[in-house]
Amino acid sequence: MADLLEQIAVCIERGKVNANSSYPPDMKGQEGADELVKKALADGIAPDDVLSKGLVVGMGRVGQKFSENKVFVPDLLMAAKAMSAGMAHLKPYFESGQAHHKGVFVIGTVQGDLHDIGKNLVAMVVEGGGWKVIDLGVDVSPEKFLSAVQENPGAAVGLSALLTTTMVNMEKTVKLVKETVPGTKVIVGGAPLTAEFANKIGADGYSPDPQGAIAFLSA
Amino acid sequence: MTSIERIGNILRRKPVDRIGVFEHFWGDTHKKWSSEGHLPEGVPLEDHFGFDLQLCWPFNLVGKLDFQPETIEETEETILQRDGNGAVLRRHKLHDSTPEHVDFLVKDRAGWEEHVKPFLTPDRRRINFEAYREAKKLAAEKQRFFCWSGVGVFECMHPVCGHQEMLMAMLTDPGWVKDMVNTYAQLTADLMEILFAEEGWPDGIWFYEDMGLKGRPFISLDMYREFIQPGHRTPIAICAANGLPVIMHSCGYVEPLVPGMMESGVDCLQVIEVKAGMDLLRLHADYGDRLSFIGGMDVRVLYTNDRAAIERELAGKIPEVKRHYGYVLHSDHSIPDQVEYESYRYFVERGLELGTY
Repeated sequence: MADLLEQIAVCIERGKVNANSSYPPDMKGQEGADELVKKALADGIAPDDVLSKGLVVGMGRVGQKFSENKVFVPDLLMAAKAMSAGMAHLKPYFESGQAHHKGVFVIGTVQGDLHDIGKNLVAMVVEGGGWKVIDLGVDVSPEKFLSAVQENPGAAVGLSALLTTTMVNMEKTVKLVKETVPGTKVIVGGAPLTAEFANKIGADGYSPDPQGAIAFLSA
Repeated sequence: MTSIERIGNILRRKPVDRIGVFEHFWGDTHKKWSSEGHLPEGVPLEDHFGFDLQLCWPFNLVGKLDFQPETIEETEETILQRDGNGAVLRRHKLHDSTPEHVDFLVKDRAGWEEHVKPFLTPDRRRINFEAYREAKKLAAEKQRFFCWSGVGVFECMHPVCGHQEMLMAMLTDPGWVKDMVNTYAQLTADLMEILFAEEGWPDGIWFYEDMGLKGRPFISLDMYREFIQPGHRTPIAICAANGLPVIMHSCGYVEPLVPGMMESGVDCLQVIEVKAGMDLLRLHADYGDRLSFIGGMDVRVLYTNDRAAIERELAGKIPEVKRHYGYVLHSDHSIPDQVEYESYRYFVERGLELGTY
């Protein structure tokens, strides 16, 4: 069992999606996350173990390397693609309650801002960390964030902004969410932001990278 | 010195009378300052603030030139359109911003070869000769340093297939990415040859490339050298052969890519985005004898509208970066409308005072 879970972790870390994918070249012809997750479940390995001891481990490794600038965005995207292929097999188990997310993370780019690359990277890594991610997209109003939190009690919120001009909408969102659903954890990120700004607007955390979001959610 | 002489020297790190000055503004800023009565009607910002550079963006590198953008959805604030590359992009109508990438017709090499590549020919209709001619004439009259400006290969590719597909393809189908790079680089070079032969050479070249995120570039230096550098070298070689200095813009943290950019023939780095982690003083210490800089003044300091803070930002950087003569005053991105006119005016006047030799 441990070998199979480690193989799954390696597939995520290296971005090996399935047996047909030619990347990475040194794993050409080998089974990928798609086949190995299917096999693990068929072998009777608990879905929660496949998630936490295979998929999440692999994503954690690549996320850590990304934080350390040892790998770059293309590698992270391939890892997320492999993760997605594996997670597809776990979906029925989440729906039946046999597999469990660590929690729910509502993420979006704030109103007035259409940038999505950074937000997408965070969403991928957090999902790969074992959380259910509800991606509200870009140009998201404070009210829409609030609705998502109300529909998912206990959800944490991630707000992204790239523009200095839209940072003000981040403050409005934090205020509305925290006033209406006290205790909701909110983390912010994006090029113009700092920990100082996050603190000033009442957010609970700030991260310059996806791995920081994982650390925040895990705390 | 005229601005042409000044910027020409700055880009070659030769003695000048003062540092240069240039800026980019959000559209909303111009409107606000005009409505407040600070900007006389009809007077361009270049004239009002005495900028040393003038840019002209005369090329259209969209796939299908005759394609009329098709509006899919429009709200009060945004518009969703399919363009001549087959990309569906959502843009903000009220302010300038990078569009949201919603969908792309090109998702792989086959899509590229069918929908875009065959159309990327050096068609004369891709060149706005008149705009170039007029801008060049105006710059000459004002004695401003005139730059042809346009996008580099990185910025050509992602509007066609999206950042995610482009970046993953560097790993899964590197030959496709190299084909895109080569196609756009050659097209740019061919169009430059046509334009400059007919309308004359500019004083310099300004490429826009956004290759960085906060704290990291999209790709490693090795990947830059493998994929992007050949696409930079092709048009830059034409410029270098004709003695034209090259300015390369990039948002985000691109410090690890600087050695590669210099190998490509880049003479000056712009915009040095502090909030992404770029550090003008460190860059100047590491490369200031070989590379010039435009930007690197933290715009977040400007929109505090606190003169003491602006003074600290200027006084903390200009005395150092004016060494080697290779610096042009500019914010680290562009000026939003939170910056009051008087604050920006002070930024320019005090910056040039500190930057006078």
